[in-house]
Amino acid sequence: MNALVRILSLPACYLSRLPGCGPLVRACSTSVGQKILMAITGLSLCGFLVAHLAGNLKLFAGEQDFNQYAAMLHSLGPALAAAETGLFVVFVAHLGLALSTTAMSRAARTQAYEVMESKQGVFALPQGGASGWMLVTGAVVLVFLVCHLIDLRLKVNPFVDYRPAVAAGAAGSAGGHVNEFLAVRQVLTSSPSRYIYLLGLVALGIHLAHGVQSALQTLGISHRRWNPLFRLISLLFAWGIAVGFISLIAWAHAVNR
Amino acid sequence: MSGELLNLTLRVWRQAGPAASGGFRDYQLRGVSTHMSFLEMLDVLNEQLHQAGEEPVAFDHDCREGLCGSCSLMINGQAHGPERGTTTCQLHMRRFRDGDTIVIEPWRATAFPVLRDLVVDRSAFDRIIQSGGYVSVNTGNAPDGNAIPVPGHLQELAMDAAACIGCGACVAACKNASAMLFVSAKVSQLAILPQGRPERNARVVRMVAQMDQEGFGSCTNTSECEAACPAEISVSNIARLNREYLRASMTAEF
Amino acid sequence: MVRVASETLNSRVPEGPIQEKWDKHRFSLKLVNPANKRKFSVIVVGTGLAGGAAAASLAELGYGVKAFCFQDSGRRAHSIAAQGGINGAKNYQNDGDSIWRLFYDTVKGGDYRAREANVYRLAQVSNNIIDQCVAQGVPFAREYGGTLANRSFGGAQVSRTFYCRGQTGQQLLLGAYQALMRQVSLGRVRMFARREMMDLIVIDNVARGIVVRNMVTGEFEVHTADAVCLCTGGYGNVYYLSTNAKGCNVTAAWRCHRRGALFANPCYTQIHPTCIPVSGDYQSKLTLMSESLRNDGRVWVPRNAGDRRGAAEIPDGERDYFLERRYPAFGNLVPRDVASRAAKERCDRGFGVGDSGLAVYLDFRDAIRRDGEDAVRRKYGNLFHMYEKITADNPYSTPMRIYPAVHYTMGGLWVDYNLMSNIPGLYVLGEANFSDHGANRLGASALMQGLSDGYFVIPYTIGDHLAQAKLPKIPDDHPQCVQVRQDAESRVNSLLNIGGKKSADAFHRDLGHIMWDHCGMARTKSGLEGAVTRIRELRDEFWRNLRVPGSGKSLNQSLELAGRVADFLEFGELLAFDALHREESCGGHFREEYQTPEGEAKRNDADFSYVAAWESHGVGNEPTLHKEPLTFDYVLPSTRSYK
Repeated sequence: MNALVRILSLPACYLSRLPGCGPLVRACSTSVGQKILMAITGLSLCGFLVAHLAGNLKLFAGEQDFNQYAAMLHSLGPALAAAETGLFVVFVAHLGLALSTTAMSRAARTQAYEVMESKQGVFALPQGGASGWMLVTGAVVLVFLVCHLIDLRLKVNPFVDYRPAVAAGAAGSAGGHVNEFLAVRQVLTSSPSRYIYLLGLVALGIHLAHGVQSALQTLGISHRRWNPLFRLISLLFAWGIAVGFISLIAWAHAVNR
Repeated sequence: MSGELLNLTLRVWRQAGPAASGGFRDYQLRGVSTHMSFLEMLDVLNEQLHQAGEEPVAFDHDCREGLCGSCSLMINGQAHGPERGTTTCQLHMRRFRDGDTIVIEPWRATAFPVLRDLVVDRSAFDRIIQSGGYVSVNTGNAPDGNAIPVPGHLQELAMDAAACIGCGACVAACKNASAMLFVSAKVSQLAILPQGRPERNARVVRMVAQMDQEGFGSCTNTSECEAACPAEISVSNIARLNREYLRASMTAEF
Repeated sequence: MVRVASETLNSRVPEGPIQEKWDKHRFSLKLVNPANKRKFSVIVVGTGLAGGAAAASLAELGYGVKAFCFQDSGRRAHSIAAQGGINGAKNYQNDGDSIWRLFYDTVKGGDYRAREANVYRLAQVSNNIIDQCVAQGVPFAREYGGTLANRSFGGAQVSRTFYCRGQTGQQLLLGAYQALMRQVSLGRVRMFARREMMDLIVIDNVARGIVVRNMVTGEFEVHTADAVCLCTGGYGNVYYLSTNAKGCNVTAAWRCHRRGALFANPCYTQIHPTCIPVSGDYQSKLTLMSESLRNDGRVWVPRNAGDRRGAAEIPDGERDYFLERRYPAFGNLVPRDVASRAAKERCDRGFGVGDSGLAVYLDFRDAIRRDGEDAVRRKYGNLFHMYEKITADNPYSTPMRIYPAVHYTMGGLWVDYNLMSNIPGLYVLGEANFSDHGANRLGASALMQGLSDGYFVIPYTIGDHLAQAKLPKIPDDHPQCVQVRQDAESRVNSLLNIGGKKSADAFHRDLGHIMWDHCGMARTKSGLEGAVTRIRELRDEFWRNLRVPGSGKSLNQSLELAGRVADFLEFGELLAFDALHREESCGGHFREEYQTPEGEAKRNDADFSYVAAWESHGVGNEPTLHKEPLTFDYVLPSTRSYK
């Protein structure tokens, strides 16, 4: 793990040679700095999720609208590639920082307690609620994401029948591209993808339930009067995203039946 | 008034020295009055061990009023035991039931090595304060106490943070063994008060660097520290530390 | 009967009007050249208010400082537990306070047994202390407009007490600790925690170092310096049960005494009236409830001895509000010593309440009826909460039970105006010295004295010694260092080798019983004589029947305690001896033979207006009395009356 952390810290080493950036990179490399970067990257990814969900909700609008949206994205060309690269970098940074801070925390307690009990009362989840599951849910989301890319970016999942979508695309229903609408529907109704997606999205909900409010706290956004509201908004956001995506799975099933 | 009497099983971590490997030992203790404090219960255990010719259990304690921050102990997996806002020395045996087994462990953190039994070395906290937890004012150099007014509510906020007793429960209870609550309490107190403002940037950067160097973990905002803190220091101080840190790292000239 | 030294002690109080003494003295003290300061080293033992402040201030001046404490950190000293506040003659409240009034109140409160010049200096620098602490970031309570708040405390008629909620001592100590840590980071102070001072090294009649035991490794270390500052607190734990921290001890001061330092007025001990009573044999310490509770609480016991009914069932007609009855003018607000003795008197006659009969009620029923529960909660909420946590009783519905407990010790090593003991180079600061409180200390004055000594007195006075004394370099293997170290080691080894049965803690409890019963709130000739005999017997038994488990080569808390108890067993005898010789009642020292028909203290200024400083001649030998006569040129002695 330490070797991994060292590799992940290479970008920081190069970045620190940029004029004026040395102190900032040093500030970002402490435990607090790393958490701040995690918060920023996490919230950026949340921004992506909002955009992604907004686009995907076009599924409800029907085949034509959705395919138009897909075509519009495809037409962006290099801009889309750049955005995808940016997203990838942010994602890898978030992941790398997670591993790095976890390594720091593991090293901070090498001998475990015989018994450990929270003093915060009852949680919906064991291990101190969502915050105790960030690494696990993050890993599940990663698996989900890889599957998702295989399914719909590369479209090479052997368990999915892409033929109707390709055929419809070839027939010109999506401007020469694959008919993404049909492809999505196909993926969301096939096993094991739909189960992986469901699991992945529940994990995402849990991850965000703690992640969003934690990011706010890490960025210093805290006020005695407003904190309860911040917490509520964070929770609503987290489960809004998760339920929004899950509703698409439900929709695919309903349409297929 | 004399209260009921409890028979207890104590499962205590015993370790002969910093380099020795430790382990749990079970002891039976009979007739423990519910009016005793937890440390008085350990006194009774030690007297019993003394009678039996064994070495007593070493544990840190001093004022026994909840202020000095000497006492520690992980009691059944909870720092300072089950009660909130309470140090071990102020915890009373009426919180326990007859026949209970009580597991007693030292604080566990790489930065707090065990010295013996339940005694740990918390000098890391001293070094963090040395790195910037002060106002640089020499004796004799002070203006009149009323020269700089401090609004009442800010003073209260500073006092909330200043109430930290430096016991280390935040580190002990944190799943990451992070010292953020301790560090943020001092950073906050001195960032809120005008007297501490001139050094605020350097202070937060240095104290965070020292905290990392001591080998404490990172903060995942689980708020367990706040629940475990006998002085009830709020995690809003951690948010303030983060703000201070952000500001300092973006703007400071060093 | 008592061996008295022929020469009186010279307190070296400067000449001139009292208002000018300190200023003139500061001018006449020799200065150390700034470039030379770093060549001098100073040892500071203890890191409470006095020690922390002294170590930081001396380091700021440029001296090389080594600071020692037995706790795991410099932040834990028992100064931290002081609740009430710190006095300062700022007169921010415009209510007629002044340096002169603080001086007057302190001399009078000390029952005319303090040194006037010291007290005046204390009142003078009290204002600097407040400024210094504010600048350090101590969050003193403030008004809404941002100015410092004050409260009236301990029966003072002006509001001069600065406070940080109920944690003033904690905040002041952390201020001093932070100043100390700053000097550590600058490399001017070397901090040695978990070190117990075992002995003083005196070479050519000058204090030149100490021997300490590393409490983690068991090693003995020699530390030499050009001066030694002892800031090791009071000896209240000689009573076993007290409001002191468990670690508080007399060892450092006692070892200096055995090396020739005079011990002054050990019999002046302060008993605080409002503590939570003892609940059983296992009790390890007593907890103080702030004196401010007496502002609204009424103290009473049942009118009929042995009345076992609950407090609520006893009608007003069958309650004896004994403080209001005896002292109609001051009522429940009489000074600490008076309130304590009155409670003891009731309990001794069988009117006490609770299981043990050693408690009186402190009742808020009338305050709650008058002002409402919310108002009482706002004022005393945290104290009520603390009481409930410890006793599981709810003070809003049932009266608190309180009883006096040992709280502070006014006596200590004798020092001159420069805070130097009779051993040149050995300075004694804070509660460890005897200087400023006379026979009784006023509320909120302990913090003031500790910080005054540390921040504003020692930085000036120590230079005088360093600039003038001949201080050749002392190597660690100097024969005297080796000898003192060997003495300390052999004392520890002999404790380990007794091989008896009883634990040090059990001996400590036994000693505590003797002290409390015979040298406590009220003392008699026969009681004190008996105490001296019984302490000697107990000491013999200790050296025959002690068992210390474990070895001396590691962290061994039983061994630490045994060493401290051994010294308490020697010191307790001196305390009793001093109390026996002082045939008068004053302040914290009350001899039953010397009281008015109404039971009030009767001071004897004609025969006892002096500081009693004792010179040791070894264990079991009667000490020699050195007198420092006390003269009162500015505050003329009168009888305290609170009727």
